[in-house]
Amino acid sequence: MILTGRDGQVLWDATGASPGTPVAIISLNNFKLSIKTDRIDVSCFGDVNRVYVPGLKDISGSVAGYWNSEELALVEAADQVTPGLLKLVPHTTEPTFFWSGPAYMDADIDTSVDGAPALSGTFSAAGPWVREPIVP
Amino acid sequence: MARPDSSAIDAALVALLQADATLSILMPDGVYMDLAPPGLQRYVIVSLIIAEDRATFGGRAIEDCLYLVKAVMLATSGATGIKEAAARIDALLEDQPIVADGYDWMGGFRDERVRYVEIDETDSTIRWQHRGGRYRVQMTPTTSLTI
Repeated sequence: MILTGRDGQVLWDATGASPGTPVAIISLNNFKLSIKTDRIDVSCFGDVNRVYVPGLKDISGSVAGYWNSEELALVEAADQVTPGLLKLVPHTTEPTFFWSGPAYMDADIDTSVDGAPALSGTFSAAGPWVREPIVP
Repeated sequence: MARPDSSAIDAALVALLQADATLSILMPDGVYMDLAPPGLQRYVIVSLIIAEDRATFGGRAIEDCLYLVKAVMLATSGATGIKEAAARIDALLEDQPIVADGYDWMGGFRDERVRYVEIDETDSTIRWQHRGGRYRVQMTPTTSLTI
């Protein structure tokens, strides 16, 4: 079902335990998940076009929203040397559809004189990720 | 928790200006939203120019409101106070918290200064002085702190 992005959710469990107990990070309004697989060029003499075979899948992405002094999960995550568990839910009315896995987080804060301070972050997989449900 | 009523921000702004004794002396005919009753000569007008909502996952997070707040005075010979009233409005609104039901104050500041003279529509010998500014008021619903 196509739904609005207004009800997405980003959850985080700093312990990294799986399935853990990830808690929603508030004041966010955007997440991007990139699932890209390396393509290895195996083109040979005689091929009429380039030919590729898949390599490893890469999981990374970003989250963004507003700085909120009552929500420090993202900035604390950026200080962690161990991965936490990140869970990305496109819409909270379909909570069984999500991506989740161990991740390292980085954070950026962007403050300008004419706007609310913005907080954003990037993440990279620190172990195997899952997509639920496997069979929709 | 119920979403707060955005009109509470307008009401809080008007109430803040109405409650100020100094401004009341300078503009004794009162503070009004959009239009003053006919016949008044020294008053303050508050108008909402634009209100932009900014969302986060789960709901509205920021209400960014731009208000025109100006003192309006019939410009008769010897009348003073428009300058002082505009300065008082600025003192009351620049970086001063506004308390509105269901909201937390984020910030408030002037975007632009406003100053002009208007010729009365019915009597071209009468002049009205307008002075104040466009003030940005940024509020966050208290409910945005939870999901």
